Amino acid sequence: MWKDYSKSYIKNNHASSISIMSAALIATMFLSLLCSIAYNFWVYDVEQIILDEGSWQGRIVCETLSPDDLSMLCQFANVEKAVINEELSKKEKIVADVYFNNTRTVYRDMPLIAARLGLNEDSIQYNSLLLSRYFIHDPDDATPPMLLTMYLVILVIVAVSLILIIRGSFELSMNARIHQFGIFSSIGATPRQIRTCLLQEAVVLSILPMLFGSMFGILISYGVIKAVNFFASDVSGRHQAVFQYHPSIFAVTVFISFLTVIFSAWIPARKLGRMTPLEAIRNTSGLLLKKTKHSRFLSYIFGIKGELAGNALKAQKKSLRISTLSLLLSFLGFSIMVCFTTLANISTRYTYFERYQDVWDIMITLKDTEILDFGLTNELQDISKIQDATVYQKAKSVTFLPEELQSDELSSLGGLEPVAGTPKTDGQFQVPVLVVALDDTSFLNFCSQIGITPSLDGAIVLNQIWDSINSNFRYKEYIPFVKEDNQATTLYKNDKTLDIPVLSYTRTSPVLREEYDNYALVHFIPLTMWNKTLMEVCEAGPDSYIRILSNGTANLADLNSLEQEIVQLVPEQYEIESENRIQERLSNDSLIQGMVMILGAFCILLAIIGIADVFSNTLGFLSQRKREFAQYMSIGLTPQEMRKMFYIEAFVIAGKPLLITLPLTILFVQFATTASYLDPVVFWSEAPVLPILIFAAAIVLFVGLAYYIGGKRLLQCNLNETLRNDTLI
Amino acid sequence: MEILKCNGIEKVFGKDGNQVTALNGISLSIEKGEFVAIIGASGSGKSTLLHILGSVDKPTRGTVTIDGVDLNGLNATNAAIFRRRKVGLVYQFYNLIPTLTAEKNILMPMLLDKRKPNPDYFKMVVKTLGIEDKLESLPDQLSGGQQQRVAIARSLIYRPAILFADEPTGNLDQKNSKEIIDLLKLSNRNLKQTILLITHDEKIALEAGRIVTIEDGQIVSDQKRR
Repeated sequence: MWKDYSKSYIKNNHASSISIMSAALIATMFLSLLCSIAYNFWVYDVEQIILDEGSWQGRIVCETLSPDDLSMLCQFANVEKAVINEELSKKEKIVADVYFNNTRTVYRDMPLIAARLGLNEDSIQYNSLLLSRYFIHDPDDATPPMLLTMYLVILVIVAVSLILIIRGSFELSMNARIHQFGIFSSIGATPRQIRTCLLQEAVVLSILPMLFGSMFGILISYGVIKAVNFFASDVSGRHQAVFQYHPSIFAVTVFISFLTVIFSAWIPARKLGRMTPLEAIRNTSGLLLKKTKHSRFLSYIFGIKGELAGNALKAQKKSLRISTLSLLLSFLGFSIMVCFTTLANISTRYTYFERYQDVWDIMITLKDTEILDFGLTNELQDISKIQDATVYQKAKSVTFLPEELQSDELSSLGGLEPVAGTPKTDGQFQVPVLVVALDDTSFLNFCSQIGITPSLDGAIVLNQIWDSINSNFRYKEYIPFVKEDNQATTLYKNDKTLDIPVLSYTRTSPVLREEYDNYALVHFIPLTMWNKTLMEVCEAGPDSYIRILSNGTANLADLNSLEQEIVQLVPEQYEIESENRIQERLSNDSLIQGMVMILGAFCILLAIIGIADVFSNTLGFLSQRKREFAQYMSIGLTPQEMRKMFYIEAFVIAGKPLLITLPLTILFVQFATTASYLDPVVFWSEAPVLPILIFAAAIVLFVGLAYYIGGKRLLQCNLNETLRNDTLI
Repeated sequence: MEILKCNGIEKVFGKDGNQVTALNGISLSIEKGEFVAIIGASGSGKSTLLHILGSVDKPTRGTVTIDGVDLNGLNATNAAIFRRRKVGLVYQFYNLIPTLTAEKNILMPMLLDKRKPNPDYFKMVVKTLGIEDKLESLPDQLSGGQQQRVAIARSLIYRPAILFADEPTGNLDQKNSKEIIDLLKLSNRNLKQTILLITHDEKIALEAGRIVTIEDGQIVSDQKRR
């Protein structure tokens, strides 16, 4: 049957074959793209974790670990190697990284190893982040492995949508041929023969598109990785992604696509197999409405042609489902994405760039460096291009405040309890303290800035707390935190305490690129006070920072050269990370642009699927709707009127996603601006109207084109012939 | 020898309150080599009866036996194989596969069985039907009369036990109609082919050896002419 019938059918029905082939191509391409990108993101994630954390799987942290213990550890059957981590091992603790041959049993083997070494389970650490990327999860962890579930859900969603896409094409092709299969059945073709024939046809038509689709998907994902690298090249702390591909991804993609094709062909084939020959022969493949429907809106605007077009659309509802859904999702996704990006841009501009643009040009992070160990402050401050340089380090501590010390403004807003929790039995509230140690010169400058006599003998307290009742996070207002009576603050850590004298209270902070905790009492101290005693009541952050403000109006080239100069000045023994305000802004812009490009590409891909489906429908309906239009013609509809019907249908198909999307986008913007306390007027003045209009116009244009071509071809047929000659069915 | 026997055939369309009884207790017996015409007005149930006898539709009640095979006992696959080998069907609208040549259309029942036709028999059939020079044509390259000849050739290729023809001349002009009926008579006479012809045209029915008249789903007369 295949040899005799299917071959000639494929040969003589290019439109239907092309529709199936394009569906298979697009669907496989989409799946391949998704699998390849997911794989590359996974590989990148693993690489990043290894760079940050190391590639060890288990870790032993104990006070002593003799060479014998280490060698015993290495002799465990599943242990590949165990090495002392010199970097993390200190006098009081030894850290040994353990690598396994079979990582799947890490969670089972590590407790056994610890027991053999006479250690308890507290001595064991797992590189759980890395292990989770290999889908290895702690069996005692009750939370489900989300990542794996997410991958599976995505894969299932994609596979289902692929089935729908391909099934749509097959269904169209089947519907056009039910009559023919009815004839076959009437002359003795068994349901199995018909099914086999259809499945063979499906495989033959889809095999090449599946292979090409997979390859196109790989190529596009290669482009995506390149684009990500390009747009995110300046992001600090990020390593370059290298495109990778594994043959198993190809095998999985082709296998899933193949199953999809078989399944897609099997559904209509089964449906066909269940029809009696008589039902099949009587099927004229025209559009049938199961219930009486009225297209009131279309008939009101376009009269009877609107009614006819509306009914035809309703009869095609099922086959148009994919196109409607993909066009809607793509346009909605695109509109919301560009609006979200605009909102994010405005938000970043307000909360970051505008707030900090005058306080820094270059930021240097001195990794794992105590401020006391940094001896280049004066040299930095002497560089002629630098207007101002501040070296600082942060530390955390706590203090206890009695209720009477809280400011009157704070008392009137409800006092300390809502922010500091229940007081101790003696009525004192525990309040976090942030200690910021500034280099002495900067501290003295700060004294002058707030109008007190410069001195290095005490702290300056930033006496403010966010009034979250009367202001939002975007436009914060502050009230005084404490009464300014205390001449010293007592810091506590465990059983140790220390009084630090207070030089002054202020509502002005020094120019640093810092956002302080909303409810912490910030103490600025000079470097001179940063001594061992103070360290005992504070928990110092690991890094120190240098904030640099350049002379004059800085441009990118100036800042780059200054950054270079500073980096060269800092000796190699310091591990540093430097940021440059303008460069950061450009990177941020580029990152957002990249995100827009990649997400936009996905939206365009969805739109392509939708439009391809519209094309496949309109070209596929040629035979399906010949009889329908012949009947219209027989009752006196002119070709112009029939053309008008096509345009009404195109208008509805393209217009529906637009009409649904616009109010939803407006609602989204309204919600987002309210939630982020942004002024909607600011958004609407910068609203991305042009890209949305271009996207909408492209949808309208392509749907219109599909109907133009389909309609033209249909009207070129001899419709008179259709009415009396059923061989065309 | 009895080639077809049906007993108490009933066919009801629709459900619940919208039921229409198309056939109401039809019983019929046809001997091998007979040429029977079933005549009736439009909507009398003659086509429904033919579809049931040809196993393309199932009766609501009653039994049909063709060449000793009870059609009720056949599943979809066996019914298809039965149609292929034992029944020839000719429709008013030819029902040819538009993408296959006339030759392939004729041979299709045999090809479905992966069998090769007897070349002499094939030649004889196409010669008798006068389509030997049209074998490479596609259906839409043929006239209505030629298409119906191809359809008859297809129904005869397997030497079926019985040939059912449903208004085979309904779509043809007078000249072609006469030729088609003559061809059916020829195959009945020369090949001893049993034929059941459905028509609403009394003149055509008179060409058959036996005329069965149906009204409102029931046989109202059954007359042998010779």
